[in-house]
Amino acid sequence: MQTGSFQPSKSVIRVSPFEGYTSYAPYTCTQCQEGWCMTACPVGAIQITAVGAKDVIDDKCVGCKLCTIACPYGTMFYDGDSRKAFKCNLCGGAPACADVCPTEAITYEDAASVDWIGPFAAERTAYVLRTDAGAPAAAGVR
Amino acid sequence: MASRHLIIGCGTAGLNCIRTIREEESRPSEITLVAPERPYSRMVLPYYLGRSIAESHVYTATPASLAAWSIKSLLGRRAARLDSLNHTLTLDDQSTVEFDDCVIATGSRAAKPPVAGADGPGVHCFWTLDEARAVIAGMNPGSHVVMIGAGFIAFTILNSILARGARLTIVEVAPRILPRMVDATCAEIVAPWLAKHGVAVRTGAVLTGIEESRGKRRLTFAEGDPLQADVVIMATGIRANLEWLEGSGIEMSSAPGGGVVVDDHLRANVKSVYAAGDVARGANLVTGAPEVHAIEPTAQEHGRVVGANMAGRDVAYRGSLVMNIVEVCHLDVASFGEWEDESADVYTAARPDRSQYRKLLFHGGRLTGAVICGPAADIWTTNDVGMLKGLVYSGVDLSSWKPHLARNPFDVKPAFLAAHTTARLLPLTVLGRPARSPELPQSVFVR
Repeated sequence: MQTGSFQPSKSVIRVSPFEGYTSYAPYTCTQCQEGWCMTACPVGAIQITAVGAKDVIDDKCVGCKLCTIACPYGTMFYDGDSRKAFKCNLCGGAPACADVCPTEAITYEDAASVDWIGPFAAERTAYVLRTDAGAPAAAGVR
Repeated sequence: MASRHLIIGCGTAGLNCIRTIREEESRPSEITLVAPERPYSRMVLPYYLGRSIAESHVYTATPASLAAWSIKSLLGRRAARLDSLNHTLTLDDQSTVEFDDCVIATGSRAAKPPVAGADGPGVHCFWTLDEARAVIAGMNPGSHVVMIGAGFIAFTILNSILARGARLTIVEVAPRILPRMVDATCAEIVAPWLAKHGVAVRTGAVLTGIEESRGKRRLTFAEGDPLQADVVIMATGIRANLEWLEGSGIEMSSAPGGGVVVDDHLRANVKSVYAAGDVARGANLVTGAPEVHAIEPTAQEHGRVVGANMAGRDVAYRGSLVMNIVEVCHLDVASFGEWEDESADVYTAARPDRSQYRKLLFHGGRLTGAVICGPAADIWTTNDVGMLKGLVYSGVDLSSWKPHLARNPFDVKPAFLAAHTTARLLPLTVLGRPARSPELPQSVFVR
């Protein structure tokens, strides 16, 4: 949607499968109040839009990638073709991901950002940790 | 409350300070800016060199925008002497500025090694806009560029030199490339990648002199053959611009790295004087130790914290996180925090055939440092870069995930999500309030 092409590697919302489960969880920008990407940008290329999303102004972005290390959530991306950073901008207030989701797993509501995925991921990854507990000691440990 | 603010330096720290003062106040105070150059971003100079942006794009403020922000700008002037007791700054033209509080944000400059011929024609640094212009003027397609130093600054302009059609040789005195940004294993993945992309690298090479002959430069080394170069770029480190503070009474550290000693509000020993960015010896977020972090994100955060405090807020700074990222020929290389630490539990994984490397460093359940390397086109590299920052920054407890991450240091994402890292991060802000969009509301400045 954001990049104008069907290209999952360029999606700004990414779905995490959890090993041993058939359930998945979409993960995208929380539009956090600090706006780490925005404050990190050396040229002011990330700004807050009318719907309260942080968005990249393409004409200003030089592609330095500082926002990708400043964002502590891992939701700031870089497009090697356009050489610009890109991120979820809530599609201007009508997120396409919520529109197309057939099971209403993704809905768009005006609410405070919360860590809804944390408890879900903790439960769904318990299996991974149990498996690890029974596994032999790790290779590569110094 | 202080009503006359003086900003000394218009780099990242100085401009973030100005913007934050204006964001915080309801009535505009008097702000004076003293700087030798027009405000621009050093961070984007490599893109100017590589022709992907015009020169006009590098400026972060113009005389018009400074006027619109009601800033009294003294551009083209250098600070010469600070009288902190009498709250007076003397400039290089002997004029004076009085202030109620001020911030020292004079940044750093490129430092050349003391080698014969280092100041000769065709030998450049790449730090200021003027230096960038000189490099551009001297370089043509087919030019042979020899870059002295294989550190972060050298790597930020590597792509741009190649984009200009020049041939590039990088010379490093240390036994490996990127000695202060990644460990030896990662360097061994990056080096062949560079070779594959036509960049020659000579490590362990001690430069002994540069001779000018018939428009070319001949570089000699303690060992090995000399090199011929059209252009020489010295990327041999930087030095803080602090000499002008001698005798000011402002306390500077004599420890390695130096810098103005500051408290958790980034105040110097004289309380009406703050320091920010490359000149400030502030707290390291991970260790709490006072250190100079001469990187863009630290200058941004320092500038914002100082600006808020100058505007009358009471903002304690949590400390800065060392972090760097460079992309060389579409290979991403990044490191966070204490990435070289003998006392940490260290988990590494390398896939040299795919140019991928991960290193995770733990103290107890806390991730205190990380190195990540991989092709930029590999989406897992870019995903994990930010999450590693989040894990180090938040200090979230990963105890239950350590065995899993020891086995597979690449599998950071489920650990990040399940450790409730997002919940830990969401309330964290640098200034104790939501950040504002970088453009300023003009109405604030109508007097």
